[in-house]
Amino acid sequence: MSTLTDHGDPAAGAALHAAFPAATDEPVTWHGDVTVQVQPAHEAAVIRHAKDKLGFELFIDRFGADRGEDSEPRFDVITILCNVQTGKRLHVRTTLPALDPVCPTLVHVFRGADWFEREAWDMYGIRFEGHPDLRRILMPDIFPDFPLRKEYPVEGQGAFAAPRRAIGGNKDATDGHVAIIKTQPTEGAQ
Amino acid sequence: MTDARTLDVEVGDDRHAEAMMINMGPQHPSTHGVLRLVLELDGEVIAKAEPVIGYLHRGKEKIGENLSWHQFIPYTDRLDYLAPLANNVAYAVACEKLMGIDAPPRAQAIRVICAELARISAHLLGLGAYAMDLGAMTVFLWTFREREAIYSLIERICGARFTTSYTRIGGLERDLPEDFPAKLDAFVKEFPGRVDEYEGLLSRNKIWIRRTQGVGVITKEQALQYGLTGPNLRGSGIEFDQRKVHPYCGYEQYEFEVPIGSVGDCYDRYMCRVIEMRESARILRQALDTLPAGPILNRDSQDALKTVLPEKEKVLTNMEALIHQFMVATDSINAPVGEVYFGAENPKGELGFFLRSDGGLKADRLRIRGPSFANLQVLREVLPGHMIADVMAILGSIDFVMGECDR
Repeated sequence: MSTLTDHGDPAAGAALHAAFPAATDEPVTWHGDVTVQVQPAHEAAVIRHAKDKLGFELFIDRFGADRGEDSEPRFDVITILCNVQTGKRLHVRTTLPALDPVCPTLVHVFRGADWFEREAWDMYGIRFEGHPDLRRILMPDIFPDFPLRKEYPVEGQGAFAAPRRAIGGNKDATDGHVAIIKTQPTEGAQ
Repeated sequence: MTDARTLDVEVGDDRHAEAMMINMGPQHPSTHGVLRLVLELDGEVIAKAEPVIGYLHRGKEKIGENLSWHQFIPYTDRLDYLAPLANNVAYAVACEKLMGIDAPPRAQAIRVICAELARISAHLLGLGAYAMDLGAMTVFLWTFREREAIYSLIERICGARFTTSYTRIGGLERDLPEDFPAKLDAFVKEFPGRVDEYEGLLSRNKIWIRRTQGVGVITKEQALQYGLTGPNLRGSGIEFDQRKVHPYCGYEQYEFEVPIGSVGDCYDRYMCRVIEMRESARILRQALDTLPAGPILNRDSQDALKTVLPEKEKVLTNMEALIHQFMVATDSINAPVGEVYFGAENPKGELGFFLRSDGGLKADRLRIRGPSFANLQVLREVLPGHMIADVMAILGSIDFVMGECDR
């Protein structure tokens, strides 16, 4: 067994669950990492509590993940926090539906969440409500798709200026809209 | 800097200086790669700064989902391409955490040597380029002299100077060559004197001090809010080093100090890096003196046999090993279903890998947390109020690399 199994803080996970018994699930510890599952609407409040009351002051990471086209809920948003005094980590995970994944923003709790949320938007099309400037960050502004979604092919779809339908979108890629929210099941995608 | 902030922008009568937008980068020499800064200037003073990134995006996370665990190792070379060995180590340890295996003690010690060589090499480049951006050409030439020595050492370790791909899950690609300890010993003996030379050029240099002290102050609060890690976080006065709080690869066996800044300005970050190089040399010395003998690949358990590649020399001479290699490379890795995160203390900060596995040979999600991504975001709070010439000082002190920022 690997020696790296003491990264998480089970006590903090339990404390977080005790503070928000309705909004969070029992913390799960796996290979040393402690993950608390939380409902999207309460995510910001839970993370603020972890930051202000439990000492998880250092923002480490926030990113999306896709469980596959057929999964429901389909998307995860995972936030990793760190307690600089103890060095322990805490993972907070929230799940979002396949259609119109929306999650409240975290920029009011950690200003650094800004770029990380833009990246999750850029890659998965997860919309962060209340984000001050939700634009693409790594992909070009005119890119039509959300490339880390599972149905997007790894080799890409050729030159992205060519007219075609956008994956995860319901509009033609060339009509000037870049950020297209998926509002109905995808047609014509892979 | 207070002078700059209080500059009166009125230019007589009722005329006001107009805000000017300028693009710095993506080809500006002080942006070290392809960072673009959109600056809004009020005369010489920066009113607003917006870093624009993504010019080096190569879709590594997507690629990672489509390659086997081992196949992704070469891609980690190109994250922080100034410290590829450290990236290799971080990725291998993350995979081992997922799969629940360990590398043997000798491999762990060699990994520490690799990571510390990478740290020195990355800090040398950061320091040299930083000084050159502020007009001190000599430092750059001198640091490259030592970098050359380190690259020769790295070439002895793994045959490549730049794209090392040296680690394997559960161990290393090959053992150290016989002449390596002597060569590393010579380097470690010489290196502290070389750091004295750089410090002689800079640390008490009046121009250097005036360009860096009190410039680009990052407060503790900002550092935590923006998720700064590495020397940038420690420069702001927060004592946090993965090697101390969560030792991996046996860092707990080595004695070293973690330098902490007091003000959080460019000078503090510079000083942190300089001291870190000295401490890295100390770790190298200890790792070299206590280097254990033994295998470099884990052969302890049935799980390890299914996950870890056999020794390369055996593969080339022994049929069973060849079959073993084939099995591991094609289909026998049984990564458990689950997700782990591991962050390593890399030269630029915490390089983290979040691995989600649904079993089998590939990652379901391979998230790379590049420290430079977080470190660059703080620029929009730090730059406003500074003169435009201070941008170079601040950029150099953040010491970013776009490879891991854009991924």
